[in-house]
Amino acid sequence: MRKLGGILGLMVLFGVCTFGAPFRVAVILPSTINDFAWSQSMYEALVAIQEEMGEDNFQFVYSENMYVIADAAAAIRDYATQGYNLIIAHGSQYGSSLVDIAPDFPKTSFVWGSTAQTFTELGIHNIFAYAPHAEEGGYVNGVIAALLTKTGVIGGIGPIKTGDAKRYAAGFEKGIKDTRPEVQVNYTFIGSYSDVALASEAARTFVNAGADVLTGTAQMTVGAISVAKEKGIFWLGYDVDQSPLAPTTVVASIVVDWTVALKPIIGMIQEGKRGGEILPLTFANGGLKLAFNEAALEGKLSPIEIIELKATVWETVRKIVSGEITIEVE
Amino acid sequence: MGAGAPRPPFLRRKMRQTVDRVEMRGIVKRFPGVVANDRVDFDVRAGEIHALLGENGAGKSTLMKILYGMYQPDEGEILVNGKRVRFRSPLDAIRAGIGMVHQHFMLVEPFTVAENVALGLPSSRRFVNDLDRVSARIRELAETYGFKVDPRAYIWQLSVGEQQRVEILKVLYRGASVLILDEPTAVLTPQEVEGLFRTLRHMREEGHAIVFISHKLNEVLSISDRITVLRGGQVVGTVPAAEATRTGLARMMVGREVVFRLERPEVEPGEVMLEIRDLWAMGDRGVPALRGVNLEVRAGEIVGLAGVSGNGQRELAEVIVGLRRPQRGAVRIGKTDVTGWPPAALIGLGLSYIPEERIRDGGVPEFSVEDNLVLKDHPFPPFSQGIFLNFPEMAHYADRLIKDFDIRTPSRRTPLKSLSGGNIQKLILARELSRSPKVLIAAQPTRGLDISATEYVRRRILEQREKGTATLLISDDLDEILSLSDRIAVIYEGRIMGVVKSEEADIEELGLMMAGVESR
Amino acid sequence: MIGATLVGIATSAIRLATPYLYAAIGEAIGQLSGVLNLGVDGIMLMGAFTGFYVTLLTGHPALGLLAAMATGASMGLLMAFISVTLQAEQGISGIGLYLFGLGLSTLLFGMTVGTVKTVSGFPQAPIPGLSRIPILGEILFSHNPLVYGAFALVPLAWFVLNKTPLGLKLRAAGQNPLAADSLGVDVIRVRYVAVVLGGVLSGIAGASLSIALLNVFQQNMTNGMGFIAVALVYFGGWRPLGVLAGAMLFSTVNAIQVWLQVQGVKIPSDFALMMPYVITILVLASMAKRRIHAPAALNKPFERGGE
Repeated sequence: MRKLGGILGLMVLFGVCTFGAPFRVAVILPSTINDFAWSQSMYEALVAIQEEMGEDNFQFVYSENMYVIADAAAAIRDYATQGYNLIIAHGSQYGSSLVDIAPDFPKTSFVWGSTAQTFTELGIHNIFAYAPHAEEGGYVNGVIAALLTKTGVIGGIGPIKTGDAKRYAAGFEKGIKDTRPEVQVNYTFIGSYSDVALASEAARTFVNAGADVLTGTAQMTVGAISVAKEKGIFWLGYDVDQSPLAPTTVVASIVVDWTVALKPIIGMIQEGKRGGEILPLTFANGGLKLAFNEAALEGKLSPIEIIELKATVWETVRKIVSGEITIEVE
Repeated sequence: MGAGAPRPPFLRRKMRQTVDRVEMRGIVKRFPGVVANDRVDFDVRAGEIHALLGENGAGKSTLMKILYGMYQPDEGEILVNGKRVRFRSPLDAIRAGIGMVHQHFMLVEPFTVAENVALGLPSSRRFVNDLDRVSARIRELAETYGFKVDPRAYIWQLSVGEQQRVEILKVLYRGASVLILDEPTAVLTPQEVEGLFRTLRHMREEGHAIVFISHKLNEVLSISDRITVLRGGQVVGTVPAAEATRTGLARMMVGREVVFRLERPEVEPGEVMLEIRDLWAMGDRGVPALRGVNLEVRAGEIVGLAGVSGNGQRELAEVIVGLRRPQRGAVRIGKTDVTGWPPAALIGLGLSYIPEERIRDGGVPEFSVEDNLVLKDHPFPPFSQGIFLNFPEMAHYADRLIKDFDIRTPSRRTPLKSLSGGNIQKLILARELSRSPKVLIAAQPTRGLDISATEYVRRRILEQREKGTATLLISDDLDEILSLSDRIAVIYEGRIMGVVKSEEADIEELGLMMAGVESR
Repeated sequence: MIGATLVGIATSAIRLATPYLYAAIGEAIGQLSGVLNLGVDGIMLMGAFTGFYVTLLTGHPALGLLAAMATGASMGLLMAFISVTLQAEQGISGIGLYLFGLGLSTLLFGMTVGTVKTVSGFPQAPIPGLSRIPILGEILFSHNPLVYGAFALVPLAWFVLNKTPLGLKLRAAGQNPLAADSLGVDVIRVRYVAVVLGGVLSGIAGASLSIALLNVFQQNMTNGMGFIAVALVYFGGWRPLGVLAGAMLFSTVNAIQVWLQVQGVKIPSDFALMMPYVITILVLASMAKRRIHAPAALNKPFERGGE
C-alpha cells in the first residue's frame, strides 16, 4: 500500500511538471525525412502527434542522415544532456549506443526501433522498443503479388538481410506460396541502403528473368521503382504510401504508422514509466495499414477483377487481424 | 646555324636568325644565403667551343640555366647578336636559338626517341602527331653529325651515351645555334667521350657556338678553344686553351696549388678478405644484372671496378652488403661464407659501405648529423648500455669525427639533409672508416665532389689501405680508378671482362673492355 | 533460356560499367599528367545532382548533361588549383573534394528538390539496323546514348593520349615534368587541362546515373563508385583499354552476382555481394608483378628547377 502511495505521489509530482512544460522529443534518423521510406514515415508520425497534442504540449527536433553510428551516438548524448523527455533512436544499428548512453541519463527515456529488445536484462530500465510486424505487411503484399502476376515470376529487393527487411521478405514469400504455390519468387539483398544503381540493376535483372511484379524495402528502392515504372510492371511498397512516386506502378503500400507505438509510450512516460516495454505494430492495432492505389490497375484489369482482388486482399487483412492467419518467422 | 643543316619545316617558316655571338654581362644571381653568380661576364661566338670550368658550387650550372631561361638573373643582361634579350622561360631561349643538354638528362624514359624529340613542338599535322616525319628528320640530322640512333627505340633501352645523343638531337632538331652542355662526359666511357668530342668538333665546323661545362681539366684542354674559370660565383679569368696548362687551370679553380699525384706507398697485399664466386643476381627490371662474377680483394689492396654505369656495379655492391639477394654463387668475407646474410650481421663482421646514392641509401635525411654518425654503431657499447643510449658519449664521438673529417656543419644537431653533397659524403666516410673496417665497398666515393674534397676522400681511402683494409672501389671515373687501385677489374653486362694490374693498365684497352670487348 | 540469361547479364554489365568508364578514364587522364584526384566520387555526386536538377527544371536532359559537365569542370578546376597551383598534398585534397561534393550535393538537393522525384532523362536509343542483329543487337546497340558515349570514349581517349601532341605533353608532364618544362611545355597548364577534363568526365559519370540510367537523385547515390573508378585506373595500368577491361570485369561480376540472387541460387547474400570486390582484389594482386608502373611524377607537385 505504501508502495502504491509512493507511485501515486510521484505521478502527481510528474503531472505537475508535465502540465507546466511541453513534452519534448528528439529523433535520430538514418536517412532524410523525405526518403519516401523509413525515415519519412517516422517524421510523418511525429508531425501527426504534434497536430493532435498541439505545439504547446508537444515539440520535437530531429537529426537526419545519421548513417554514421558515431555521429548518431554523439547526437543522442547531446539530446539527453539537453533534457529531452524522450529520445527516439530510429534504427536497429543504434542499439549499442543506447546501452552505452541510457544508464547515464536515468531520468530520460529512450526508444530503440525497430527491435523487440529493451535491455532490462542488463539492468537498464529506461529504454522502450517498438517492433513493426513487417511479416504481416509482407504477407499481404505477397497475396497481392500472387494475384497480379501473369508471368508467374515475382521479385523482391532488400537492403541487408536483417531486422524488418528480413521479416518482410519472409512474409512476402509465404503470402505468395499460400495463394499460388506454383509462382516463382526470389528475394535479393543488395547489401546497401544507398546503392540506387545496384537496386535498379537488380530490378532490371528481375524483369529480364520474366518478373512482372516487384517489391522491396528501404530507401534505395527508388531506383527499382523507377525501373518498374519504365518497364510498365507493378510495384508493391512498404513504409509509406509510395504511389505518388509512380501512380500507375505502385499498386499497394504497407504504411507503418509509428504513432500507434509512440502515443502509448508518451502516455506511459507521463504516467512515470521510463522504459522496459516493447510495442508491436500490427494490422490489429493499426500500426500497419494498407494503402491501396486502385488507379494503378485501371485499364490493366477489368473492374470486376479489381473488385475481386480488393476483396481477397481485405479478407486477408481481416484474417490476420482475427488471428486466422498467423505468420511465423525465425 | 651553318648551311649544312637544313631546318625542320616549322622553323623554316619563321626564318630563325643565326646566332653569331651571345654575351652575358654583369650577371648576378642570389639564392637564399649564397650569391651563386657575382657580376659574371661571359661570351661565346659561332664556331667556337668555350669551356666553363670550375668546382662544384662555383656557379657554372646556375650561369647557364640563366642563359637558358630557367632562372631569372637578379642583375645583368644577356645580348644575342648585340641585341638585349630577356628569357622568361626555356621556350624563349629555344626561340632565340639556344639549346641545353642537362647534366641529369631531361628525357622521358617510357617515351621513344622520336617522342622525346617531338615533345613540346607543334605537329605539322596540327592535332595529330607527325612522328613519322620527326623520325625521318632525326635520321637526317644523325647522318649530318655522324652518329647512329633509332628514332623508334625507347629511352630506357638506350645506353647512357646514346641517351646523351638524344639530348643533343633534341637541341639540334629545334635548330639551336648555341649549344650548352652541362658536364656531358661524367657518364661516358673513354670511347664515348671521343665520340662526343668528334660530334662537338663537327658541330663547331658547322658554325655552332658551344658552351662546355666541366670540372675535368684534361677534357677541357683537349676540346675547347677558350676556357673561362669560375670560382665562388666569380670569373677568375678567361684564357685561350692553347695557352692554358693543367696546373695553371687547377690553381685558378681552387685558389691554391693542387697536388695531382697521390702518395701510394708499397703495401704487401695480405690474405684474401673478400671473395666472390660465380655470383648471379637479378636487376630491378627483372633481367639478370650479374652473370657469374668472380673477384677477390686482399687485405691492404684496392681493387678498382671500372665500367660504364648500369653494367651491374650497383647490384654487385648491393649483393655484397646484403641489400640484394643473389640467385647463385657465394660471397666470402675472410673465411666465412656470408651469402644472403642480413646487413646487420655483415656490419658486425667488419664490412663498411659507402653507397652510390648516398643521400638515399647512406643516411636518414631528417636525422641529425650526430644520429647519422652513430647510425650503425648505436646498438653497441659505448653508445648504448642495456636499453639506454649514452648521449654524452655519442655527442663526444660525433664532435670528434666532425673535426677529424672536416665535416662542414653548423652543429652536430643539424639535420643531414641541410648539408651539401660533399659534406654528406664526408660524413658517411667518417662513419664507415672510423669503424676500422676489414672490407670496404666504396661506390662512386667522389662523385659530385670538388677537387679539394675529392683529394681528401682519396687520401682517406689510401690511408685505409695502409691499415690493411681490403677495398673494392667502384667508380665511373677512370682517372680515379687508375690513381687509387692496385688492380683493375672491368665489368660489362654483369661479367668481369678482365683484371689487370694498375701499373700495366692501358686506357685504350680498358675502354675496349668497358665496351664489351674481351681482354686479350 | 541460357542464351537469354547470358544476354541479360551482358546487357546489365554494359549498363553498370558506364559510370565507371567515364569516371575512370577521366581519372586516368588526370593521373597520366601527374595529378591523383581522389575526389572523383564527390564530383560524380555534384554532376549527378546538377544534371538531375537542371533536367527537372527544364525537361531537357541535354541541358542537364551540359550542367553536369560544367559542374565537373569547376570541381576539376578547384582540384587543379589546390593541387597544382597551391601544390597541396594530392591525396588529402582529393578526399577533401570528395567530402565537399558529398556534403554540397546533399545540401543542395535538400534545399531545392527535397523529396524523391523522377525525371525523364535520356531515353533508350536503339541504333537503327544494328539493334536488330540477333543477340549482339540487344547487348550492344539497344542502350542509352550515354552508354554509347562511355564506350566511344575508350578509343577516343586512347587516340588523344597516344596519337596527338596534347597526349604527348600530357604523358610527359606525368612522367618527367622537368624534361617537359625544359622543352617549353607548360606543365602547369597541361595539368590544369587534364584535371579539368577529368572533372568533366566525372560530372558526366554522375549524370549518367541521375539522368540516363536511374532518372532519380538520392544523397550519396554513387555509393563509392568514384573510389572504385580510381582503383580501376591502377587495374587498367593507366591505359584506356585496360580501364575498359577492368570496368567490364567488375561490372560483369556484379551483374552475375545480382543475377545469381535473382535466380534464387542459394548462396549467402553477403558472400555474393563480396564477389566483385574479392575478384577485383585477386586480379589486382595477381597483376602486381606486371611491369606497368605509375606515371613517375604522379602525386608530385611541379616546380620549375625543383630538383
